[in-house]
Amino acid sequence: MSLTAARLDRISPSQTIAISQKARALAAEGRDIISLSAGEPDFDTPQNVKRAAIAAIERGETKYTDVSGTRALREAVCAKFRRENGIEYAPDEVMVSTGGKQVIFNAMLATLDPGDEVIIPTPCWVSYPDIVSLAEGTPVFVACPQNNGFKLRAEDLEAAITPRTKWFILNNPCNPTGAAYSADDLKPLTDVLLRHPHVWVFTDDIYEHLAYDGFKPATVVQVEPRLKERTLTMNGCSKAYAMTGWRIGFCGGPKALIKAMDKLQSQSTSNTSSISQAAAVEALTGPQDFIAEMVAVYQERRDLVVAALNECPGIVCGKPEGAFYVFASIHGCLGKTSAGGRRIETDEDFVTALLEEEGVAAVHGTAFVAPGHMRISYATATEALREACARIKRFCEGLH
Amino acid sequence: MPALAARLADVAVSASVTMTVRARALRAAGHRVISLAIGEPDFDTPPHAVEAAHQAARAGDTHYPPQDGTPALKEAIRRKFARDNGLDYALDEIMVANGGKQIIANAFLATLDAGDEVVIPAPYWISYADQAKFAGGVPRFVACPQNNGFRLRAEDLEAAITPRTKWVVLNSPNNPSGAALGEGELCAIAEVIRRHPDLWVLSDDIYEHLIYDGFRFVTLAQVAPDLRERVLTVNGCSKAYAMTGWRVGFCGGPRALIRAMVNVQGQLTSGVCTVAQAAAAAALDGPQELVRQHAETYRRRRDLVVAMLNEAPGIACHRPEGAFYVYPSVAGLIGRTTPAGRRLETDLDVAMALLEEAHVAVVHGAAYGMSPYLRISYATDEDSLREACARIAAFCAALS
Repeated sequence: MSLTAARLDRISPSQTIAISQKARALAAEGRDIISLSAGEPDFDTPQNVKRAAIAAIERGETKYTDVSGTRALREAVCAKFRRENGIEYAPDEVMVSTGGKQVIFNAMLATLDPGDEVIIPTPCWVSYPDIVSLAEGTPVFVACPQNNGFKLRAEDLEAAITPRTKWFILNNPCNPTGAAYSADDLKPLTDVLLRHPHVWVFTDDIYEHLAYDGFKPATVVQVEPRLKERTLTMNGCSKAYAMTGWRIGFCGGPKALIKAMDKLQSQSTSNTSSISQAAAVEALTGPQDFIAEMVAVYQERRDLVVAALNECPGIVCGKPEGAFYVFASIHGCLGKTSAGGRRIETDEDFVTALLEEEGVAAVHGTAFVAPGHMRISYATATEALREACARIKRFCEGLH
Repeated sequence: MPALAARLADVAVSASVTMTVRARALRAAGHRVISLAIGEPDFDTPPHAVEAAHQAARAGDTHYPPQDGTPALKEAIRRKFARDNGLDYALDEIMVANGGKQIIANAFLATLDAGDEVVIPAPYWISYADQAKFAGGVPRFVACPQNNGFRLRAEDLEAAITPRTKWVVLNSPNNPSGAALGEGELCAIAEVIRRHPDLWVLSDDIYEHLIYDGFRFVTLAQVAPDLRERVLTVNGCSKAYAMTGWRVGFCGGPRALIRAMVNVQGQLTSGVCTVAQAAAAAALDGPQELVRQHAETYRRRRDLVVAMLNEAPGIACHRPEGAFYVYPSVAGLIGRTTPAGRRLETDLDVAMALLEEAHVAVVHGAAYGMSPYLRISYATDEDSLREACARIAAFCAALS
């Protein structure tokens, strides 16, 4: 009898984690490693949020809560959706989970039967296809070309829809490309979706607040209220409030779907930590100045990284609207040999050689279903970014 | 609304949640409801755990944790298993999850293929069966009769095992019966397991420290070290340290299984709230005196409740070894009628009538797979327990 279930064989081990582990191992050996591979803010959780958590502990809020989250947090989530997205959800149309990841897990496991298809624009965060596979669905990838700013084209979405399509997942702004959709960008996509009433929309807006140069990412229900009855709007506290370790994700959607997801969560984890929920209430309802300050810093770093990378021979890097990643093409570096004598045939060869020879950790595009690229996270101190870009340039100049 | 996945069709909403919701509604209508329905300590989290959480939040320990738990918590768990259970687990044989519930979800999702069987002694915590079904497995129940103190007999276990059996679940002390297995009984069960080399055992020890009258707790991997490679030892902080809201469960088991479970958790929720992990490490490593004090309080309450319930006409209550539940038979109430004219045909009828007419919330035995019984939680102050038992006795006496 085999140890593991067949569903587990469909999941690829995380390639992001492999490179992080290698970087940690090199750092442990005493090498000077700059990691640009992590998908988390380098900012600290705001003080008012930490204090709210401590106050909750003092009040004895250390017991089970409703599976879908405390009333206070669900109301704060409703207020957030109303205030920032112009969407009205009732408290029983929202739920709180252990990170945005569990929202996706709940939604896919609650709805997918074997063979159901889920459309995922690429490059993509690899957990989408993995969770779909875990739920025995079939991921259907649609490429978003670099020459379209890595944005999905309406005709490509239209062509990917079949009678078996159950979900369309949109990540806006996108990890790993940073591409973001305004209301005008979304309209052609929502027009396609209106023509296919059997398709559900999962919109992952976790990077919503991280957009630059005044760009305003929009969300599907805001642009097309007629899709509200088949859209799950996901968000969370990790990126906006630098709260990755607290594990708070949430979503709004039709009551029947939320109820099914609630049932599922009641059997897999129950409520998310009561203390983290209290912290999230403060994050969502307290002062929001923290976000603007953080965004200003990210914007400066993005500009720095894009400019520096475009000076590296063989690298082409567009300037994305949001998130804290750039997704650079390294096609011009392939087929060459590094100064250390490593043959660079693939993007994985590239990031491995870059890590070994220059001590810079980035993630190869293949990990996001987009070979020939690398993802660089600029959620790192500005000085370290400057140094890392100098090293990448030296590395590229050494290719022959 | 898209159709929900077939895997969700069989998954039930927890009965204790349903009773709690109805009790809340009656309370909101102005009734003085005493709830004995919930499985949660009424004590507060120990102060040193609270302090550790404060420090972690203040120190900025708020970033993504490793998927399998922080090194500090895993070290504390390793010490706990060595100290309390004589088990030596390496760090990569330990993982942390969002409550004991997620440990079980991880284990079943990682190992069960469609049609694989899970042997569950009844009465049982409903989540074992629901999680098995949700992962495509088939629960097979083995009755543990009241006349054997609700303890599993080796011969009954043997008879339930088939070539499709993948897991056997042990839960001692047991929710809902409070029954605990002694060393002799566990050795007899180990003998059965030895004869079936293709199955795994999940030993859910979450109530380990709630054990009375000098009963000595032992766990399977301890009494049968030769089975260690097939046993998953599950525990957590919720019951021992009154930390239900924090959501920290953990387990020790063979490396290959742990690795597969971490892989599932990586797709389900990622790691557990960092602040809660810091609190858990402090709880495990700190003074254990509170645990003993709480156990003494629970013992007094158990004796009170067993004595009072046995005074109620038609109820027969066994005195269990551990946990904070009693599981009285209500066979003597079936077929009777309440003053309000409710006919009692099932234990659900009894529980509903008790709630509506005596305003005492309990859970019916059918929710735990053995009827006609009630589960009564005594994790409530003594005055409320006394009042609740008096109401139950008056309810029984008034039946015609």
